[in-house]
Amino acid sequence: MMNQGVSTETIPPVDSGSLENHHVVDASQGQTSSYFPPTAGSDAISWTIHRADHNSTQNGTLPSSTSTYQYDYHTQPPTRNVQEGLNAASLPSSSSSLGTANVSQDYNGYASYPNSTDPYGYGSTGYPGYYNSYQQQQQQQQQSNQPSYQQQQFNHSSYQQQQPNHSSYQQQQPNHSSYQQQQPNHSSYQQQQSNHSYSQTVGAYQNTGAPYQPLSSFQNTGSYAGPASYSSTYYNPGDYQTAGGYPSSSYSNQNTLWNDANYTNYTTHQYSNYTPDTTAYSSGTTTAPSLHYQQQYKQWADYYSQTEVSCAPGTENMSVANTSNVGCPIPGVSGEYPASNTQTPPSYTPPSWRPESSSSELASVQPAAGISGANDGYWQHVAPSSQILHTSPMQPQSQKSLDPKTSYDIFQDQQQTAYSQVPNVQYPANNQVPQSYQSPVQTVPSLDTRRVSKLQIPTNPRIASNLTFGFPKTDKDSSTISAAAKPAYISVNVSPMPDEKVLSNSAADSILKPGMFPRSLRGYVERALARCKDDTEMTACQAVLKEMLTKATADGTLYTRDWDTEPLFPLPNADAVNKDSFQSSTPGSSLPKYKRSPSRRSKSRWEPLPEEKSVDKSASVVNNTVKYGGWTNPSERDRKLFMGNNESKENNFTAMKFSPLAQKNASKNIQRQVKKQRFADGLNAADNGDASSDSDKEQNLTAYYSSAIALANTPEERKRRESRSKRFEKGQGRPENNHFKPKNAGPGNLYSRRASALVLSKNFEDGGTRAVEDIDWDSLTVKGTCQEIEKRYLRLTSAPDPASVRPEEVLEKALDMVQNSQKNYLYKCDQLKSIRQDLTVQHIRNQLTVKVYETHARLALEVGDLPEYNQCQSQLKTLYAEGIEGCHMEFSAYNLLCVILHSNNYRELLSSMSRLSVEAKKDEAVKHALAVRGAVTSGNYVMFFRLPLC
Amino acid sequence: MEEAYRRITEYLNRFSDAVSSQDGASLSSLLSLSSNHPFLLSLADSLILFQDASRVFKQSERFSQYSEIITHLFRSLQNYRLGNLVDAYQAFEKSANAFIQEFRNWESASAWALEALYVLAYEIRVLAERADRELTSNGKAPEKLKAAGSFLMKVFGVLAGKGPKRVGALYVTCQLFKVYFKLGTVHLCRSVIRSIETARIFDFEEFPKRDKVTYMYYTGRLEVFNENFPSADHKLSYALMHCNPRREANIRMILKYLIPVKLSMGILPKDWLLEKYNLVEYRDVVQALKRGDLRLLRHALQEHEDRFLRSGVYLVLEKLELQVYQRLVKKIYIIQKQKDPTKAHQVKLEVIVKALKWLEMDMDVDEVECIMAILIYKNLVKGYFAHKSKVVVLSKQDPFPKLNGKPIES
Repeated sequence: MMNQGVSTETIPPVDSGSLENHHVVDASQGQTSSYFPPTAGSDAISWTIHRADHNSTQNGTLPSSTSTYQYDYHTQPPTRNVQEGLNAASLPSSSSSLGTANVSQDYNGYASYPNSTDPYGYGSTGYPGYYNSYQQQQQQQQQSNQPSYQQQQFNHSSYQQQQPNHSSYQQQQPNHSSYQQQQPNHSSYQQQQSNHSYSQTVGAYQNTGAPYQPLSSFQNTGSYAGPASYSSTYYNPGDYQTAGGYPSSSYSNQNTLWNDANYTNYTTHQYSNYTPDTTAYSSGTTTAPSLHYQQQYKQWADYYSQTEVSCAPGTENMSVANTSNVGCPIPGVSGEYPASNTQTPPSYTPPSWRPESSSSELASVQPAAGISGANDGYWQHVAPSSQILHTSPMQPQSQKSLDPKTSYDIFQDQQQTAYSQVPNVQYPANNQVPQSYQSPVQTVPSLDTRRVSKLQIPTNPRIASNLTFGFPKTDKDSSTISAAAKPAYISVNVSPMPDEKVLSNSAADSILKPGMFPRSLRGYVERALARCKDDTEMTACQAVLKEMLTKATADGTLYTRDWDTEPLFPLPNADAVNKDSFQSSTPGSSLPKYKRSPSRRSKSRWEPLPEEKSVDKSASVVNNTVKYGGWTNPSERDRKLFMGNNESKENNFTAMKFSPLAQKNASKNIQRQVKKQRFADGLNAADNGDASSDSDKEQNLTAYYSSAIALANTPEERKRRESRSKRFEKGQGRPENNHFKPKNAGPGNLYSRRASALVLSKNFEDGGTRAVEDIDWDSLTVKGTCQEIEKRYLRLTSAPDPASVRPEEVLEKALDMVQNSQKNYLYKCDQLKSIRQDLTVQHIRNQLTVKVYETHARLALEVGDLPEYNQCQSQLKTLYAEGIEGCHMEFSAYNLLCVILHSNNYRELLSSMSRLSVEAKKDEAVKHALAVRGAVTSGNYVMFFRLPLC
Repeated sequence: MEEAYRRITEYLNRFSDAVSSQDGASLSSLLSLSSNHPFLLSLADSLILFQDASRVFKQSERFSQYSEIITHLFRSLQNYRLGNLVDAYQAFEKSANAFIQEFRNWESASAWALEALYVLAYEIRVLAERADRELTSNGKAPEKLKAAGSFLMKVFGVLAGKGPKRVGALYVTCQLFKVYFKLGTVHLCRSVIRSIETARIFDFEEFPKRDKVTYMYYTGRLEVFNENFPSADHKLSYALMHCNPRREANIRMILKYLIPVKLSMGILPKDWLLEKYNLVEYRDVVQALKRGDLRLLRHALQEHEDRFLRSGVYLVLEKLELQVYQRLVKKIYIIQKQKDPTKAHQVKLEVIVKALKWLEMDMDVDEVECIMAILIYKNLVKGYFAHKSKVVVLSKQDPFPKLNGKPIES
């Protein structure tokens, strides 16, 4: 503390310089992120940033906080001391104190702001370190931090040096731009609210720092590309969180290392943070452990959405998961959460989402209590971390819980924006998504949340339709925490959607981190869980599943294995699993306080579930799967979206259910991380180990975090898991299809088909390393029996079910229907794709097929849907080659024009020209196309524009 | 039966002798299926007679290590003889695979078996082509050539390293080119080319001449596709220079691409060249270029459209149009100069339109203006427009720059 004080005094000049530097950098970079709305958004942003700081403080108290964050603490000299003291206190005990501490921080930071530019320097140093040298991060950062404390100048120098790196970084990633923007915001903020400004700067830095980390992870992801790696990243965040939870333990150890009494608090924080980061880095996954991460993730999410990297959502989710863990005892769930976040957004897709929120909410935010305002901003998407702020003053723990949700929302928003371009309208998923979305809101226990929800309703009119039913309840129930939790669940039940069932099932699936898992695997999980009669069995089952999955992930067969044909494992002994999970669940439930007992909340949510499940089982496991696939079809994103829905739901009500799985995952991840750490740093390794054990104790005491993590680390748990996995291995060979067959028999024979596929692929004995694609689909050619004319397109994830495939006569009608339909292209495209699928599945290749493709190609041309047109064109080419009649000439002409227009490819033009027959050249349309070509290649523009428009 | 057994054992002995004495020539003659060597044909007959050939070489320890190669080779030979080309190909590919395995072991010191490998690569390509023909005649999808392509890629991988066998890489590359050009998957050539051209350890000039010529021919063709005419000119000229002058068919193939390339750079071939190598389809094109006769050019293009399209020079020839325009304007300019030297450099667009009309090219002033603009832009004509008076004002110095071996600026 003393040191900090000293540092603050000396810091100011240096900081100013650093600030300037930053500004310069920003200016030069000049990249503006589409992220934040510029003017109106600035206030909101500042708020959010501020919140971010709060979060960071909270994080600091919580083990999960990131290194950058802690840096900020250090840097903020005057207020910091107080804050830190608070933080330190809060760390061991509970987060409740944190809230107050945070508040104080903000103000202090604010007061000192002009001088206190230090945070910048710190932040910058922190993150250059990240970027520059991940491997050495721990040591370097720690070292740099300490020196910086003692000698600000030193920091400054290092800081400046690092700045170039920073700039390069920015260039590399557009996300950084958000950081830049924030600074301007910051300035405005100062004018408006001096208090916040200080924190803002820090927040901005943190944010930037966060994106960086994701970057590193991102790069890694790029390398991994494979889903397995992805999953690892996904898990890691969970681990990270756990690490975060433990910081107190690591604390002491670290302190010993650092020795300096003054520094102890800080150092320990940093240290703990660092280690997780490093581990994460070494693993190549994003370790985004803390609330910071959420913000960062948001940015990342944007980044990702922009880049459309599939991996991004996972990472984001991770962060979210972390936050959720903090709030709730359901650490495992967190992993799932992230997926939900990323996935859910697309469905919403109101494009104007952000701007609206920013404008309306901003106004309300400032006048309103800081907390509520923050929430609003958060909801608006402008301020991602604002919620945290709210919570912090009010109820620290509740904040935590909120945070994950808020983060979800943010994610969703961002993603929405990203996805808005994608035609989501097509998909019915919208309804589901909103539900899931609501649930988080509802669950938010505090009054603030209520406000938020109210506020949100006006802001998000588009979503409102979905939200409305959820919200009223929230308002009612919001007064009581428990009630709040329930409503979320209820809302789900109440929801009139026919797809609800699907959701519930899907929720189960989502346990397994839907985002990155193959559909077949989801189906597998679904099947496995469908057997369970009650919760205990379910949890046991999940435990086994989790074992399987982690194993599969470890040996890389996760994506290659044919989960469709994988025999189900025997139902595990539920009791064993329960033992594992009981710690987590019991402490939470026993705790009277809502805030402290997320587990309890989860349970309350959970209780209604069984009913749903039973319904689901009987009704439509098969259908669910199909729908699933359908939802997922359009694209990976969509799938994610869908998954996201499921997950979000899970978050709300299935926490208990899935928590064991997730916890295990998390624990495993932690272990892995620890190992990696050891490799990376001898120093930290021991500490981490100790920390984990210590943290176990802490967890039991505080029940903050789900005990899962702690359990995972304990030797008994490890043994238990080993034994379980052994058991599982034995059982693996035994096909357990019987369990699910009878249940599913009613709706359709999909499973029997699957079974046949299984036989075909001969994966039965060897546990199936063959991919689904290897199955001989020809032998599964179906004769459709479905009589419905309208059918949504969904990409098949398994053998087609004749009951859902339309025979040729019906398809003909369907084509007529589409041709005469007045609906928009998205609808028609969807319908045509489903028709095409049915044709393909039934191996129908005749004039109808040609007609369907021609119709689709023309429609696609009309709206400029080039990818779809290309698909149709290539299909038509082969169909024509088979001698099936159609408008061959017309499409030859289209093809020529397309080649001229879209591919400046000499060879392609030649080949398509040489393919034209003599008759073709006499055709009017082809002649025209050739004339166009002639005009274009000879550059005779006069002729080109004189050509008739055909 | 006796005879058959004797022949089989003789073949086995020859094979084993060739390997043990590292006699690449005789080994390759034993592998050359399509050579229709009488010895192989009679062996095939014997194999058909003598059903259980594998029993023969399993008797002897000597042959057992080559059993993998020989079993499949025999089966291939048998099918080849019977006309089952698809089966013959399949068996041959298996045999070749086994051969490559052995080849890896042999090739540590010297590259004596390269010749046999060449034969193998050649055989597999030719067999695949014939098998594909059989498949298409049976109404099935031809796929063997594709398979041969991937097999050859494997062979290329074996050879592409360092050491003496690297010499063989270019041969395989050329076989690959042939496959890819036939399949129309020319883009696959790029990776092969890269590995040939980036390997600095090995000087390109050290490859056998025939391979170099083939390689240059194909890469030159690729450059034509890419409209990179200087490079195409260089490569095809190299091929032409080094090609065996007695291989007139090969020279013709090279010229088929080299002539359009040269034309596009303003270099016209002599008439006797076209006569000698039977490239008369270019005669009208050349004539049109000389005369500035747009009609003749279009007519020639139309007449030989199929041929030009197939060989891929159609678009190259089509672009000669601009040179024809240039020539036409130049002729007008010369005529004007004879009439009135002072005003010769002012060419009215009307005059060009009229000239085109005589050529039965129906173009109006706007189009002609557009064409002239392009000519000026491409530096085929020096001058400027007087748009109001519809006059092209030509530069007094060198109004029609010659290309002189440079491609038209784009």
